[in-house]
Amino acid sequence: MRLDGVGRRYGVRGPWVLRDVRLDVPGRALLRVEGSNGSGKSTLLRLFAGIDSPTTGRITGRPRTAYVPERFPAALPFTALGYLTHLGRVHGLRGPEAARRATEWLARFGAAGHAGTPLAKLSKGTSQKVAVAQALLAEPRLLVLDEAWTGLDPAAREVLDRAVAERIADGGTVVFVDHDPRRLAGLADAHYRIADGRLLTTAGGTAADATAAAGPRVVIEAVGPPGSAPWSGPAAEPPVRTAAHEPATRPTGLVPGAAELPGHPEVTVGADGTARLTVPAVHSDALLRALLTARPPWHIRSVIHPGTDPDPDPDEAPLP
Amino acid sequence: MIALLRYQAALFAGSHRWLPPVLGYAAFLALGIQSGAPILDAYGWAAAGLLPIAVWLTRICVTIEPPAARHCAAATAGPGRVHLAAVLTAAGAALLLALGGAAYVLLRSDPHSADHRVAVPVLPATVAGLLAALACVLLGIAIGALCNRPVLRSTASAVPAGLVAALLLLVLGASPANAAVTGLVTGSADGTITVPWLPFAATALIAAAATAATCALSSRRG
Repeated sequence: MRLDGVGRRYGVRGPWVLRDVRLDVPGRALLRVEGSNGSGKSTLLRLFAGIDSPTTGRITGRPRTAYVPERFPAALPFTALGYLTHLGRVHGLRGPEAARRATEWLARFGAAGHAGTPLAKLSKGTSQKVAVAQALLAEPRLLVLDEAWTGLDPAAREVLDRAVAERIADGGTVVFVDHDPRRLAGLADAHYRIADGRLLTTAGGTAADATAAAGPRVVIEAVGPPGSAPWSGPAAEPPVRTAAHEPATRPTGLVPGAAELPGHPEVTVGADGTARLTVPAVHSDALLRALLTARPPWHIRSVIHPGTDPDPDPDEAPLP
Repeated sequence: MIALLRYQAALFAGSHRWLPPVLGYAAFLALGIQSGAPILDAYGWAAAGLLPIAVWLTRICVTIEPPAARHCAAATAGPGRVHLAAVLTAAGAALLLALGGAAYVLLRSDPHSADHRVAVPVLPATVAGLLAALACVLLGIAIGALCNRPVLRSTASAVPAGLVAALLLLVLGASPANAAVTGLVTGSADGTITVPWLPFAATALIAAAATAATCALSSRRG
């Protein structure tokens, strides 16, 4: 997807909210957009999602897209499950499959008990879970999150963090805005800042990023199939469960290098051929899935959380 | 598109905002069509009432979704298609009302001219009556599409504009809806049936153009 000289203003004489935005949106990437209140973040995200058209310029090559608004309204005459099934169908899924995925996502967010509750009776947080599930159930190639974490409880925020990692591991692109600078810190592939209607690329290395990058990490010890040693990496992409209208793609080739793996793990290979992959904790599920579903699959020897890690990663600098 | 139509129709049916226009149309029919009324007059009355009702139904359908929910659907299916589904849902609802109105006319009216001397064949009269009703529905849909989001976004301008446009296009001689209804009513005097092909074709074109324009606009003026 590509934004070419994109500008947006509301009304014929309105001020330009965004001007001359040029951006090549890569696949398999997490993009963060920052900016002060009213700087045009939401406008940019709506352009990304295709809800708005640019006043000038063009946006081409948008993949299958889903959008999560900051506040999801309750004024719809559906139950949570009914709404999600309708939206699943709009995404191109068949009814029973849409209902199955809707149930699954509600369960993941701990809202399975509210499947039959009318949307009007849901709490703010639970309706936000419905809004997030709506976007995730069809496994979009482009996921646009406009402060989607607002209103979610901590457990659900973590589920959303992991769901974002899954989308990226599946080769998708996630664009997000969030006021919490620690949100997915250290994981974004690119940071953008909107100032005076311009989209500026900023270095991702804020202080919060640095702490998070050194923060919660998971070490996975895995052994590749014979012949793949010393390191050739499993297929980067796990088999993609796709929506009904998209042909299933299953990458077969081995991708050299670990940079293509979910979470860009740091890899060290031991003498016995065991690879130690260190990733940010959010990506651990996606990485494990990629390893286990690679063809041929990898064997997981152990998963170590840093708190319980008896043998710290040699790459980590000792604390002063 | 089928999924979108299903979603919009479920929204419309579940919201119960359709109740006032449907009850209003039922009252309009009950008041205006006495038992034994001349069939062509009755069809003319039933068709004329549909125009403002179709404007109202269109307003309901295009404003029924809160913006955030509309954005979710629009990101997936495209804002133009979401808007089209809303307008088509309104058209479907108005069509159901037109069929109900025709059934009511068939039950209550007398298949004769206004002076009850000349017999009027029921089937051609019904065809003419339905086409006149469709012409009014289509013009109403066009007005409703042009007088609401995304063209007129505030209620303060959309509702008066829709009302005035509906009344003017019902009364002005140049309007195809007026032509269709007038054809039925004047034909009723001596029992001749004027099938309003031309007004129907004209309103179909107008409705298609208005819908296409508003769908194209829906991503520019959310």
